[in-house]
Amino acid sequence: MSSSASKQREKRLSELNAGATPDGQVTHLETVAFGPSLAVERFRFGNGLELLFCEDHSAPVIAYHTWFRVGSRHEREGKTGLAHLFEHLMFNEVEGRKAGEFDRKLEEAGAESNASTWLDFTQYNVSIPKDQLPLVVKLESERMSRLVLRDPQVKSEKEVVANERRYRVDDDVEGAVSELLWATAFENHAYRWPTIGWMKDIEGFTTEDCLEFYRTYYAPNNAVLVIVGDVAEAALLKRLSTAYGALPASTLPIEDVRPEPPQLAERRVEVSKPTATEKLVVGYHSPAMGDFDHPALSLLAEVLFSGRASRLHQKLVRELELATEVRAFVGPFRDPGLFELFVSAREGTNAEQLLEVIDAEFARVQAEPISAEEIARAAARLELGLLAGLETVDGKASTLGFYEIVLGRPGAAFERLDTTRRVTASDLLRVARRYLLPRYRSVILVRPDLSAGADDAEAAQ
Amino acid sequence: MSAAASVIRLEDAGGATVLLETSRALPLVSISIGLKTGSLVDAPGKDGSTRLLSRLMRRTAGGLEPQVIDTRIDSLGASLSADVAHSTMIFQATVISRSLNAFVDLLVDVLARPGLATAELERLQRETLAELKDSLDDDRSLARRFFRRRFFGAHPYGRSVSGTPKTVPEISASDVADVFKRSFVRDNLIFAFSGDLDAQRASQIARRISEALPSGPAPVDDTPEPAAVPGRRLIIVDKPERTQTQILIGCLGSHPRDHDHVALLVANTIFGGTFTARMTQEVRSKRGWSYGAYSNMPFDRRRQSFSMWTFPKADDAGPCLKLELDMLHDLREQGVTKAELSWAKRYMIRSHCFAIDTAAKRVGLELDQTLYDLPKDYYAQYLERVQAVTLEQANQAVQNRLSEENLLITVVGTESAMGNAVRDSVSNLASTEVVAFDSAD
Repeated sequence: MSSSASKQREKRLSELNAGATPDGQVTHLETVAFGPSLAVERFRFGNGLELLFCEDHSAPVIAYHTWFRVGSRHEREGKTGLAHLFEHLMFNEVEGRKAGEFDRKLEEAGAESNASTWLDFTQYNVSIPKDQLPLVVKLESERMSRLVLRDPQVKSEKEVVANERRYRVDDDVEGAVSELLWATAFENHAYRWPTIGWMKDIEGFTTEDCLEFYRTYYAPNNAVLVIVGDVAEAALLKRLSTAYGALPASTLPIEDVRPEPPQLAERRVEVSKPTATEKLVVGYHSPAMGDFDHPALSLLAEVLFSGRASRLHQKLVRELELATEVRAFVGPFRDPGLFELFVSAREGTNAEQLLEVIDAEFARVQAEPISAEEIARAAARLELGLLAGLETVDGKASTLGFYEIVLGRPGAAFERLDTTRRVTASDLLRVARRYLLPRYRSVILVRPDLSAGADDAEAAQ
Repeated sequence: MSAAASVIRLEDAGGATVLLETSRALPLVSISIGLKTGSLVDAPGKDGSTRLLSRLMRRTAGGLEPQVIDTRIDSLGASLSADVAHSTMIFQATVISRSLNAFVDLLVDVLARPGLATAELERLQRETLAELKDSLDDDRSLARRFFRRRFFGAHPYGRSVSGTPKTVPEISASDVADVFKRSFVRDNLIFAFSGDLDAQRASQIARRISEALPSGPAPVDDTPEPAAVPGRRLIIVDKPERTQTQILIGCLGSHPRDHDHVALLVANTIFGGTFTARMTQEVRSKRGWSYGAYSNMPFDRRRQSFSMWTFPKADDAGPCLKLELDMLHDLREQGVTKAELSWAKRYMIRSHCFAIDTAAKRVGLELDQTLYDLPKDYYAQYLERVQAVTLEQANQAVQNRLSEENLLITVVGTESAMGNAVRDSVSNLASTEVVAFDSAD
């Protein structure tokens, strides 16, 4: 930004703040590059609410995301799934508006709206035609502080979430086994329970639990607005200052975080599931997303498991014809997570055979440097994935919000791409030798059993 | 007329239909190459041939080894997939623009010079059979598969795009080569480009691919209109250890060429088309019975189904099914209200901006319009048509198109846990069938 533009902003903010409540006064903190052609402006309001704004006139639409720094990691035993249940409840009644009115008004405005909860955050996203900005500002600011929770709504929503759990976990082999893997790999850290929560906890929530959660975590100083789209900065700030400036900050609790102690020996669990073929799911303890090793380990996962040209697809699916599908994923979390891999066996193959082949390939990447060509190929895949996710304003807002919450740097997606391009064969040797060790892993072997009573999904609880 | 004014049709591309919207927002190029034929050209008893062909083309382009091709695509920062449906096939590619030239070389080999090696076909058949086995894990996909098979019966739309464990092994190299020969002719291809390239480059690419293919017209799609099967039919797909059910209820729907199609779309939006539509309100919000509750109306060149989808737990399956049937009855008897109509029209008109907020989406609508022989002004006039729908037209469309009598109900779940309740919840059943989940043919 030129110095004259900067001065103009200062003047505008000064005028805005002169008429604003102390909580509604806004400060410009920084300008952050977002790729080669976009910039993100970071603002903070008097009540602690942060705003990341990216002006983008590529279409007459606006993405309006609200990210709260609360996820399933902030729950406790016996109350798992509360962050996710609460995400559902946020679409209910608000003071002065009956239940369902929030969604009805947004849909009438042509908006697309959704939400998600994960280990580290809860986020609410609304995409709107540009002329509907006043409505979404009003509705979102209202539900941040004036949500109404009553027993019938909580009871009904608990049933909806229980049904979601049946759909995504209890009747889904992959969902159930992934949950079992995390519960096996983690003994101390809050990442050991599923975001959707254990069924008995979902059934046990009271309206008071929900109210307490709302009062504790839903405050402007625990939230980040991420707004991308066809709107001018001055008009946006004025509207946000008025709407959110009436919301007081609250005292946030200090998270009672419990680091996971190092795993010293392999953990292995065998389960039967109503599935046609064996499955292998393995999780190696992996670094937090902000760790220096995370980009290298992610690149290694790409070399080994992503795409048809990857080493283990070639070996397991094509050459040996032992599997139908291989996948891996390095958890992108604030705290150390898992390098999680999933393989579906072909009929007649058992999970141990799959593990043997994977072990041999892991031994190879721990012994021999990966070629420059393979590294470049994996980096190109990651670059394509990043760019393809930025076509819409919603994709841009999701990327900004995610990196802000997890790393505290909204533009980190592109920084990370640069880091990935600098990863060397030596880096890959290091992370392969450091993390892909049997003693750091949990292994779930899934046996097919289609007889009644075969499902033992709750084994880990 | 174009779906969006920003999409242009190129005239100097050697006779091929070429659509383009240039956008320099990102260094990416999207290329969609659509064919006006899909799995309906599969020979009888050889279901899955077209889909196998599309995958085989990607693996044997220019006679290269699959690993060489996959490695090249990844190294270029590109993706390439083929989506086969009953009436169409679309090769969809995205590439980082710095690699466009090298990628096009490969794309020409995929589309015009596939090796179609027999050994690779056999490997692909083994892979496909294993994937079909894996797909038995997905209850939603099982519900869709059984629904389609029974809904369309002997009509070609009842055939499986992916093939079945019975048909896939029967497909020979000559079957696949025959589909290639019939489908990959110049007039059967439509090119849709968007992103970081100009008209001259798009024309060159289209011409290069077209000229590498034999000339010839697109095969004629003589698929008959599907007819409604009389009576209420219930299929229970029995699968052990299910805590939940997947319920699909459907009757014959409409086609964009029908005069009342848009009116029915508006009525569907009110009934089950959004998160605040009647179905979600009654099934999810008021009763908490299902995480999702929606109705939809897909389109093809001939009429498809109108269907309702919920997934309640086994104990709620009977009551949920009864509620849905009552709601359908109420929709037909009482119709939609004026207030609902106004709301739905506002929603459909205002939210349309998200169907056209990127160049790739705008070009994609134009491609669909051309591939599926939709009315020439279907998307260009869409908003005006929605706005013009009256209460009488919406309710008349419901009366004319949706049936309570000729319904197919598919329930996937554990029969012993919900079968009786499900049967008891449906009156006037013409037939009931219980089938094993792994018995799909």
